[in-house]
Formats: sequence, structure tokens, C-alpha cells
Amino acid sequence: MRRKEPGEFPEHTVKLLQTFADQSVLTIQNARLFREIEDKSRQLEEASQHKSQFLANMSHELRTPLNAILGYTELMADGAYGGPSEKMLGILKRLEANGKHLLGLINDVLDLSKIEAGQLVLELSHYSVQDIAQTVRSTLEPLAADKKLGFKVEIASQLPSGRGDGRRLTQVLINLVGNAIKFTDAGEVAIKAEADNGAFYVSVRDTGPGISAADQAKLFQEFQQADNAITRKKGGTGLGLAISKRIVEMHGGRIWVESQPGQGSTFTFTLPVVVERQVEPA
Amino acid sequence: MTKRILVVEDQADNRQIIRDMLAPTDYQITEAENGEEALAAIAKQRPDLILMDIQLPIMDGYEATRRIKADASLRSIPIIAVTSYALSGEGQKARAAGCDDYVPKPFSPRRLLAKIRHYLQ
Repeated sequence: MRRKEPGEFPEHTVKLLQTFADQSVLTIQNARLFREIEDKSRQLEEASQHKSQFLANMSHELRTPLNAILGYTELMADGAYGGPSEKMLGILKRLEANGKHLLGLINDVLDLSKIEAGQLVLELSHYSVQDIAQTVRSTLEPLAADKKLGFKVEIASQLPSGRGDGRRLTQVLINLVGNAIKFTDAGEVAIKAEADNGAFYVSVRDTGPGISAADQAKLFQEFQQADNAITRKKGGTGLGLAISKRIVEMHGGRIWVESQPGQGSTFTFTLPVVVERQVEPA
Repeated sequence: MTKRILVVEDQADNRQIIRDMLAPTDYQITEAENGEEALAAIAKQRPDLILMDIQLPIMDGYEATRRIKADASLRSIPIIAVTSYALSGEGQKARAAGCDDYVPKPFSPRRLLAKIRHYLQ
């Protein structure tokens, strides 16, 4: 390229320079792209941090007043401010039931937001399926008794100890059994658990109205319930099954329903007995 | 001997609920509205149990707990974290800071009282 005389560049030099120029353009473009990507990912990270902080704050802000409402209600019912009349006691019970319902809704919405924001972290430790079933039984058997429904627990003997998020799995089972009780008007609700080939299989069977094939497909999606008329009558956010599905999937498992209208429903989830790390959504 | 409970809580309603919950018992209550006040109250008079809210102004409940548990003469005082900051992992965080137990808000006064009795037996 170092020429002493004026004149045209030979063709191969022009080509070489052309290549240099092209490469330089590419390099400059790449450098710009890299910086853009870096900026974008920093912005995304900040946004995600803000979202997470917002969720934490909302959780706090929503629960604080509820704590006062539920706390005073319980104290009044327990006679901390003088013995309540029978009539007042009835009202206090309803106040408590409504407050707890609201708390459930808030928890559902926050849980789902956390999952969406990738902020739900499983606390992995040892758990016992038997203990979980027992907790669910003692929580929900009174509700079944109110509706005169039978409540069965069939746990296979000598189940291995599991590793996963016991609290979240309890939440899943409470959800399934709660739904079963909610939608069943006569008969029974049964929890069954067994282990096979390194996996737990936990199912909840009811003698409720059953679910059509078309509705089964929608059940596990957010904000969906089988029938809007039922939603209005039975309440609920329609988030419970969506949250349960995500929790089971984070354990590397899956959840499904088998049902026919008029034949009751069986919801089953399966997951590895030992979960060493959380499975991120695909 | 009368047992002393230190209630660290910034919300007036929650302090009132805890006060009303403890009224029928013969526990003696001291109140503090943030971690710094809590440490000052402990220096003045050693409590037998601490109910510790976590989200507090000036010094939060985790920091206050860490400082109490770092002091050999105070380490044995049971601390129950009472918090509405209930993101998952909060239970582990409370224990990591040195809290002996953890109660999420909204709490049932009946159950919180049972827990207090358990630690003060």
C-alpha cells in the first residue's frame, strides 16, 4: 500500500481496503449493539428490582390493615372488650370469614405476580407427604363437615421423605382440596398419595358435578374458572389452579385433571421425591 | 415473678391489639416503635421475650435482632418475629437474623399468645 508514485490503486489493494472498511463498519456496529444490549439489560434488571420492591411493599401495605381488622375481630369474639351477645358473635364470625377470604385473594394475586416477575423462590428442605396431608386435613375437614361431606385420607405406607418446598406443596394441596369441597354438594372428598419410581403421586378425588372436556383445558390458566356463573356463586379468583400448576412445575412436576360431567373429578399432581433445584419456567 | 415482654412495633393498631391481647395475662409490657428504641429499652430493663416487627423505621427488626443476639448477655432472650413482609424466604431470613420464631401477619392474637406462653413457660 505504500506507493511512491501517483496513480490508481491496484485492484487487489482496493479490495483489501474495501475489506478493512467493511470489517471496521461491522466492528463499530457490533460495539454499538453491545452497548445497547448492555443498557437494555441494565434497564430490565432495574425494572425487575423495582417490581420486586413494589410487590414487597404491596404485600406489606395490604396485610397491615387486614391485620388490624382480623386482630380486633378475634379479640372481640374472644370477649377481650366484654362478652359479645350471640347475635354479635355471629356477625364477628362473618367479619372474620370475610377478612380471611380477602386475605386469600390478596395472597393469590401477590403469589401470581411474584411468579410472573420470577420472584417466587422455593425454600427447599425435607418434608413429609403425611404431615402435609395431615395439615390439610386439620385445616379443611371442618369445612367438609359443615357441608356434611366425607373426608378420606389414603396415604401409602412407608412413603419416602421428600425434598422440596413443603409450605408451597401444602398450598397446592389446600387449593385442590378446598376446590373439591367448594364444588361438591354431596358425597366425599378423598386425598390419596403414593410413591412410584422416585416420584410422588398425590390426587384429590371428589364426587362433585364434574368438568366438561372444554372447561378442563381452561382450568389451569390464570383468571379462568369453568363457568362464570359458578364463580359468582362460589367465589374465588380463579388463580388457585394456575398458581398450583406453577408451583408443581417449579418442582419439575405436572398437574392434571380427569373428569366427566356427573362423574366427579380427580386432580392429580406428580413430582420428583427429591427436588435439588428449582425448575425455571421454559 | 412477672414476666416482661418487649413489643417492638411501629403501627399503633398493632400495638393496641397486642396490648389488648395481653391485658388478661399478668405479663408486663414495654413498647418500642423502632429498633433503636428497642435496644434502648433493653439496656434499661431486660425483657423475658421480644415480639419484633421487621419493617421498622430508623433501625429494622433484623438489624435489632442481630445486635441483640450478638450480645452474650442478651442472646438467650427469645425473639418472635412478627411481620407482614411475607415474601417467600422471609421465614428463613428471620431465623438467619437470629429470631427464634416467626409469625406472619395477619396473626391470630389467640395463636400468638399461645406461642408467647410456650416460650415463657
